[in-house]
Amino acid sequence: MTSSEILAGIELVAREHVDFVGELRPEMRLVEDLELDSLKALTLAIEVENRFQIRLDPEVEAEIDTVGDLVDVVGRLLAD
Amino acid sequence: MPTEDLTLVDMLERASHNPETGLRMIDRYEDAELFAYPDVWRRALGVCGGLQDLGVEPGDRVALVYPTSMEFVDAFFGTILAGALPVPLYPPVRLHRLEEYQARTIRMLRAVEAVLVLAESRVRRVLGPAVAAAEPPLGCRVLGDLFGGPGEPIRPSADTLAMVQFSSGTTVDPKPVALSHRAVLAQIDGLNAHWPIDTGIDHSGVSWLPLYHDMGLIGCVIAAVAVPGTMTLIPPELFLARPAVWLRTLSATGATISVAPNFGYGLCVDKIKDEQIEGIDLSRWRVALCGAEPVVPRVMRRFIDRFTPYGLRPEALTPVYGMSEATLGVTFSDLRRPFVSRCFDRELLSRDGRAVEAVDGVELVSVGRPIAGAEVRVVDGDAVELNEGLVGDVLARGPSIMDGYFNRPEATREAFRDGWLDTGDLGFIHTGELFLTGRKKDVLILRGRCHSPTEVEAAVDEVAGVRTGCSVAVSWLPDGEDGEVLLLLVEAHRTVKHDDFAALAEACRREVRSATGLAVDGVEVLVPGTLPRTSSGKLRRQESLRLYLADELDAPRPMTPWRLAGAAVRGSLEVARLNRKIRGRG
Repeated sequence: MTSSEILAGIELVAREHVDFVGELRPEMRLVEDLELDSLKALTLAIEVENRFQIRLDPEVEAEIDTVGDLVDVVGRLLAD
Repeated sequence: MPTEDLTLVDMLERASHNPETGLRMIDRYEDAELFAYPDVWRRALGVCGGLQDLGVEPGDRVALVYPTSMEFVDAFFGTILAGALPVPLYPPVRLHRLEEYQARTIRMLRAVEAVLVLAESRVRRVLGPAVAAAEPPLGCRVLGDLFGGPGEPIRPSADTLAMVQFSSGTTVDPKPVALSHRAVLAQIDGLNAHWPIDTGIDHSGVSWLPLYHDMGLIGCVIAAVAVPGTMTLIPPELFLARPAVWLRTLSATGATISVAPNFGYGLCVDKIKDEQIEGIDLSRWRVALCGAEPVVPRVMRRFIDRFTPYGLRPEALTPVYGMSEATLGVTFSDLRRPFVSRCFDRELLSRDGRAVEAVDGVELVSVGRPIAGAEVRVVDGDAVELNEGLVGDVLARGPSIMDGYFNRPEATREAFRDGWLDTGDLGFIHTGELFLTGRKKDVLILRGRCHSPTEVEAAVDEVAGVRTGCSVAVSWLPDGEDGEVLLLLVEAHRTVKHDDFAALAEACRREVRSATGLAVDGVEVLVPGTLPRTSSGKLRRQESLRLYLADELDAPRPMTPWRLAGAAVRGSLEVARLNRKIRGRG
């Protein structure tokens, strides 16, 4: 799966589950720009895992700051 | 042996003779796996043996950091069987910074002087800095590290300490609540005496509450082991992301008892779509407890309206009241009737502390009467018991009240008044039942969980332009809201111009969300010196809120968009009152 396909998938999840509107861009920060509080962040994590059939790790999650970071992590997990 | 002299060890051993019931774990794909009680016992004995080989002694504190899983149950009961005190801590918040989490975990580990941390393997990898700082002598391990055959369970007396649970919302100055076997089992007896038995139904439960929380661990898991009855556990994060899982599981298992905070019921109404619960049957759900935060009558009504078509019994919803210092529950409302709410004159209530019923007054929910063995009284500042209908401090007494805070004699002394636990809540008795009106303790109650205002204020202090140590975080339940809202009252540094107040407010909002994961509902930026203080210079949070709501925070204040937003929140109170008056006339 290409990065832009993963980004598109995450955008769909964000629209459906955390009330995101607009266009999702890699440089956007999850907490600051997507305005994710803890409930929304958790929902995004679970639904991204569900959509891509992967499992995120707390250690890796702590390093995720932007949408682009999340795309990279998903890409790495899918490649494994 | 009389019931009151039993321990959690006896309770689990008794359950181990019952292969028909057990703990059922739901995983992220909603697949279920049942661990029958003989299995639970055997696995706990294995952990007990491993802990004993490692050198864990009776009375030692063992911190447990797990998501909802069978591993948590193994670690918890294994520690109990080894005579050590399990201390459940919460795992990290998802997709958020770890610094705050680690700092919090260090404080908690130090507060109980944990000798060992047991953690899920994935969680252990992020606990490194916390463990390095707190230095538990036996380190941080996963269950797989523990070798050895089944251990020999320690048989403590009922008065021995059984476990430590952290009082909610005291994360900066964490207060570890120490509970004896006697206290925990007294609570369980009180709870289990409540379930309707006249119908001859076989009780079982479903819970999505976190296991590091008194309601999830003691109210659900331990209460089920004591029966023994089957308890189905859903990971809390699965419920939060997909609330329909809770109702589907209730339907699939035919469970009779489940519990959630007000916010959980609201989330179901807001998020569940019809197609997610097609064909479910909620008619076997007899007891839907609602506690851990103020119960909002409108949310209860919306939940009833939404799910009655699926067989929900309106009388199932049962408001309850309690706190970790009381092990869990203090009062329960009557299970045989729908929840009761009454309206009280707003002015008399807030100005005179008198509860007088009035048609267009503020609606409050009864949280019922003390559970078996417990007593509640409402007193004034001189500890004199007040008559019915007068607002005062709510005190509680009974066999399930904590022995005290662990290693904190001074905090323990402050928590009690003449042998009664001062709950920190305010309320009154009306027709023999307890109604809560507010609280004097400084705690934020948001989405069913208590948070410490100091933690939020520390985040605000990080924002450039904020006058350090001069902001307060408060939460309260406005009319027309489904839950408490979080408000920041922030004094700006004197160099900040009024024109920049809005930007400062937004910066505070972001920093709090980023540091704590909490969504801020309103920020009021104030000029220096506005917030009320004690004579020793400490900020007075509840007084700040009172002045804010009365629009009496005195100091020249400019009109900014945030100020207007604050006024709007406040205004909703006025509008709601006005609307009712208009309706009342019509």
